[in-house]
Parts: sequence; C-alpha cells; structure tokens
Amino acid sequence: MDFVLSKLSGFGSAFTALVVDPLTYVYLVTSVFLGITFGALPGLTATLAVTILTGFFGNKIPLDYSMIALLGAYVGAIYGGSYPSILLNIPGTAASAATAMDGHPLAKAGRGGEALGLTTTASFIGTLIGTVALLIFVWVLLLISKNIASPEKALLALFGILLSGTLMSEDLVIKGWIAGLIGLAMAMVGMDPLLSEPRYTFGWSYMLSGFQFVPVLMGAFAVPQIIEGMRHVQVGKMVALQGRILPNLSAVRRHMPTITRSGVIGTGVGALPGVGEDVAGWVSYGVGKTVSKDGKNFGKGSLEGLLSSETANNACIGGALIPLLVLGIPGSPPAAALMGAFKINNVIPGPTIDPAIILRVVAIMVLASFTMWILGLLTARVFIKILRIPQTVFLPVVMVLTAIGSFSVGGGINDLYLMLGVGFVAYFMNLMKYPIAPLVIGVILGGLFDETFRRALFLSDGSLGVFVSRPGAAVLLALNVALIAAQIPMIRRPFQRRDRKEA
Amino acid sequence: MPAAHRDPVAGDTSVTTNDQLLQSEAADREAKLILRARDFWGALVLLALSVFFLWGTSYIPLWGENRAGVRGGDWYNSAALVPLGIFVAMLVLSLVLLRISVREGGAERALSAVGIGWNRAEALRFSTLAVILFFYIAGLVPRVDFILCSGLLITALIYGYHGGQAARMLLAAATVGVAGLYAMALNLPRAQWAQHDDDWLALAFWIALTAWGLWRERGSRLARIIPVIAVLAPTLLVCAMAFGFRQNVPNRGGLIFKQIEYHYYVTLKPIWSGK
Repeated sequence: MDFVLSKLSGFGSAFTALVVDPLTYVYLVTSVFLGITFGALPGLTATLAVTILTGFFGNKIPLDYSMIALLGAYVGAIYGGSYPSILLNIPGTAASAATAMDGHPLAKAGRGGEALGLTTTASFIGTLIGTVALLIFVWVLLLISKNIASPEKALLALFGILLSGTLMSEDLVIKGWIAGLIGLAMAMVGMDPLLSEPRYTFGWSYMLSGFQFVPVLMGAFAVPQIIEGMRHVQVGKMVALQGRILPNLSAVRRHMPTITRSGVIGTGVGALPGVGEDVAGWVSYGVGKTVSKDGKNFGKGSLEGLLSSETANNACIGGALIPLLVLGIPGSPPAAALMGAFKINNVIPGPTIDPAIILRVVAIMVLASFTMWILGLLTARVFIKILRIPQTVFLPVVMVLTAIGSFSVGGGINDLYLMLGVGFVAYFMNLMKYPIAPLVIGVILGGLFDETFRRALFLSDGSLGVFVSRPGAAVLLALNVALIAAQIPMIRRPFQRRDRKEA
Repeated sequence: MPAAHRDPVAGDTSVTTNDQLLQSEAADREAKLILRARDFWGALVLLALSVFFLWGTSYIPLWGENRAGVRGGDWYNSAALVPLGIFVAMLVLSLVLLRISVREGGAERALSAVGIGWNRAEALRFSTLAVILFFYIAGLVPRVDFILCSGLLITALIYGYHGGQAARMLLAAATVGVAGLYAMALNLPRAQWAQHDDDWLALAFWIALTAWGLWRERGSRLARIIPVIAVLAPTLLVCAMAFGFRQNVPNRGGLIFKQIEYHYYVTLKPIWSGK
C-alpha cells in the first residue's frame, strides 16, 4: 500500500510541477498541434513527426521539455490521422487505416461532425487508458526486471526484433526478419562494446562511433516517405463536415463498453515489442466486429467500428511506452524514435531508469491527452483546412527540416550522408515490401544484444547452458524458438491440416 | 498514401460482379509475380552482401589471437561472434528467399523489364528525385549557404513534381544537379567549402527557376506561393536552430547566413541586451 501511495504522490508532484510551469503549455500546445497536423496530412506519419521533432528538440532543450514536445507530437499525430480517414477516405497514418472503414461512410451520411467528435473523445479516453496501464504495469515490470540479467536481456532483444519482423511484414515473414538482421548488422558498425575492436569501419574515423540513431531514423522513416510522396496526386473529394463536433455525453456513455474494450486491446498490443498502432487498430476492429452486436454493420458506417480502431490506436501509445521504459525495447516505431531522443540525452531506458522520469512521462501523457482533446474539439475546422495542402508542397519543407534536424544532432555533414544512404536503402526495401520498423528496432537493440549475449557467455565461461538454466531465459528462449518454428512450413503443415479438419 | 485498405475480416460491402472479382484476382497475382521477380534480385544482392561481410568478419579475431603480445578474449566474447551469427543468418534467409522466388516464378520473369514491373514514368520520377536529393545533401548543403540551397531545393521539388510532368522533373533535376556538381567539382575539399562562387551560382539558378515557373504558370496561385515558402521555410528554420536552440547549422559562413548572424550579434542583440 505504501508503495502505491508513494507512486501516486510521486505522480502528483510530477503533474503539479508540470502544471505550474508556463513553458509546459507552450511546448504542449505547439507539439500537439504539430502532431495533429502531421497526422492529418496524408503522407506524413506519427513516426515521422516524432523523428523530425527528435532532430529538432532531442538534445537542444531540457529533457522535460523535450519529452513534452515528443510525447505531445506522438499523441497528436496518432489522433490526427483520423481526419483524412473520415473526410477523405485516405488514412493520414497507417494507424488510422481501419478508421476509414466506418468513418468515411459516416461522413458521407452527413454524420461527419458526430464521427469526429466521438473519435476525439474516444482517442482521449484511449490515451488515458493506456497511460493508466503504463502507471500500473511499469512498476510491476520494473520489480520483475530487477531479476533480469544478461541472458534474459539478450533473448528479450532478439524476441523484440523477431516479433516486430513477424508482425510488421506485409508480405513474407522472412522479409521482416531480414530487415531486423540488416538493422542488427548496422548496429555492429564501430567499436565493439566489450573489447573496443573496430568493426566494418573501412578506415573511416566517423564510423568508429557507429551509426547514430537520429540520422538512421530520419533516413529510414523520412526520406522514403518524401520520395514516395513527391508525385502528382489529385486530392480526393472531401466530404463537407456536417453536424456539431462537440459530442453528446449520453452517446459517449452508450459507447463506453466499446471504448474501454478497445482501450484495453490497444494497450495490450502496444505492450508487445515492436508492434505499432496500426496493428492495434486492426486487432481491435477485428475483435469489435466479432463481439459487438453492431458487428454486421462494421464497414458500413458503424460508430462502434470507428471507435474500436480509434480508441485502440491511441491506447497503444501508453502500452508501447511500457517495454520502452522498463526494458529499453520500443513498443512501436514512434517509440523507437522516442528511444533515440532518450539516448541522445544520455538517458538509458531499462531496469535502471530513474523512476522520476517514468512519473514525468505519465504526467506528460495525461496533459498531452487533455490538450489533444481540447484542440481536437475546438480547432477541428483548422485541421480540416490543412488537409487541402497538397503533399508536393509540404514534403519539400519536410526534407529541409529533416536535413537541418539530422545535421544539428552532432555528427555534422557525415550524418547527412548516412541519412541519405539509409533513406535510399529504406526506399528500395519499401518497394520490395520489407518492413522498416524491424530494421530500426534492430539498430536500436543491436548494441544491447551484442553486449549482453557475449557478457552472458563470458560469465558462464562459454557455456550455452546459461540460456536454459535460468527460468526467465528458458521461457524467452522457448518464445524465440516458437516464433521461428511457427514459420517453418514443415512444422506449420500439421497444424494447418488440423485446423482445416476442425473447420 | 493509398486509399483505405479493405478489411479482410469485414469483407467487401460494395456490390462486386464476378468480372471485377476475377480482374482484381488477376491483378493481385500479377503484383505477386512482380514482387517475386524483384525478390529474386533482392535475394541475390543479400547473398552477395552476406558473403562480403562474412569475409569482412573473418578479419576480426575470433579465436583469441595475440595482439601486440596481449592475448585476446576467448571465442565466446570475441567481437566477431555476433556479426558472424548475423551474417550467417542473413545468408540462410537470403537462400530461403531465393528458393521462394524461384519456386513462385520470380526467376523466370526476373530478366525482363515487364517481369520486374518496370515503369518508365516511375523510374524517371525516382531517378530525378535521387539526383536532386544526392546533389542537395552531398554537393550543396556542405558548400552552399543553407538558405540558398534549401530555397533552390524547395522551388525545384514543388515546381518539378506538383503537376507530374516529366519535362519539369528533368528541369528540376538538371537545375539542382548542375549547381551541386559545380559545387562538388570546384570546391571538393573541406578547405574550400567557405568559397562563395557556388553560392552565387545556386542563387542565380534559384532566381532563374522561380522566374521560369512564374512565367510559365502565369495566374497560378501555387506559382506565386512557391517563392514565399522557399524563402521563409529555410530562413525561419535555420534562424530558429542557430539563435533559438543555439545549435550548429550547415555552412555558417554562407553568403546569406553570415550576414544574418553578423547583424543578429552586432546590430540586434545589443539592442535588447541594453549594451
């Protein structure tokens, strides 16, 4: 009980400290506004919003303000994706793809205002559900993670990369794994963490310190987006917004079971390492379709369908922060960008993180969700105007933002070369349907995997038994093996045959 | 950004005729074949890279060799251990990918342009963009004033790609390409990055492209907006970064930024600091 009270009082102090600081509001309103704008513009994503702001705010302002800016943009961008989904039938972000299924038919039926109002409120409640889960589970996991040693850390990092590769692949699962391996290989460049042996530097001194996170993030997420988006696209016909945006309280109350269910699903999916808001939205939509009484109307303009995906993708944010803060494994691609921001501020997320930082993150999330709600309800018409800007006009400005953000992080002009190189590679990977998120997660977790894997072997004098003799490590090893085995045709076939028989 | 994905769980709610369904299935099959043909090449590239880096890994001591009289670590904490695992895994996965692509008909189509889904218009769009981005990052940003080169980039990208016309894309690529090539050819070493001849050339190209755009697109609102965005966006960004966040910015000694910085510290700052 004392533990709970101490954490609640810690959260209260962190919240009060933020609320009484006027600068908090400047960063909050600006970042949430920018986030919604990024989310609303088709062609810009939540990951891009957080990545670009990492380049801009990452290590240039105190960490507290930097976190406000990045979390505010994250929350805003995931919500902002709902605008084009509802009004244009084009998802602003991958996370809001499921939103378009019901949002656009609702707008066409003259219920656009109602859909936007409820979406805003559901996103707000979803973010709060994720944040409450973050506040509760982060401590539970932190207590457990104190017993985590090198073997578990190495296997957990591998699990994060494998899971992300498995779930984020649009085409073949091995493409996700290959992307993860490319990320891991990139993390091997530079001095190795135990013996300071230079690896793959090709005599270039810049490479000795390894690939920097921010240029890699910018290259992986921004450059392909810019190349892909610089094409002539006729802006779709926007449905005129009808009806009032402010939601009816009784309607919100009526849909509370759907919102709560979706919030819990979104948080759970977010907590899986490397799985993002888009998966959360679709999973929640699929579950909603199965369990809801209104399931047969999903896809035809069902409010329940709309709220299922929109609540889940925002709830995913809090969930994605749990593995990030407790284990140092990002729960989603934007969380990977956040991890980059932590690292360039010399904060290492994981079991040794300062608990005060976690409490501040929770307090910021609460404030950011309120700001998003208020901005969403009061300034929706501003964002609708922003939707009309063609991507060929704003993407060149994004390119300039990316260049200056990447340059100023520290590595200078070499970081720009790295960004461009990674960008071209990521573009071709996109073209061949390789997911990019596992690559970035591989780059981020590669150092951790290398160090902890070798440390575990070092402590056991080279015995591989260290990965099965500890219960935690044995469970994680089993999970890794199961994840790989599940993709081997020889092992899958009997299960598929059994499923077919049952069907 | 594609239109909303169809939810496979929800099913298609629109009335679809059998013909449409068959056409869509054929298109999906064709797209998959194209993807497998590309996977064939992708797998070969990955195979080559895996072998190259395995060879590179062989230079990192694995069995605890002596180095300058000091015995290195054992095999299990060698710096080569994890990279070896990574590249072996990549080699195996690329072989699996190669097998899948061959089995699903990718290899048969891999040698024909149609087979890999070659699209001339798309290839032109990508290659002109690649030229622009390469010369902007590698040629202009290090050597030319950031406001000038970014203004040129914004003008070239919006003018070149907004309407989707091939001639404009080529003009945009040529403008940035020539300016970048000039900067790289004449001021390649770092010692010459402060020279201003390439700044003047970039400025001339920027003005010329803006004037050309305004003349060709008389009466167009976008043509009038391009110069405003091209001037304001990089100027505000570079000033915010340099004076707001006090960070390093590319090419501080550039033609325009040098003047801004001088007047910020010598003319403006004393006014509000009361000196």
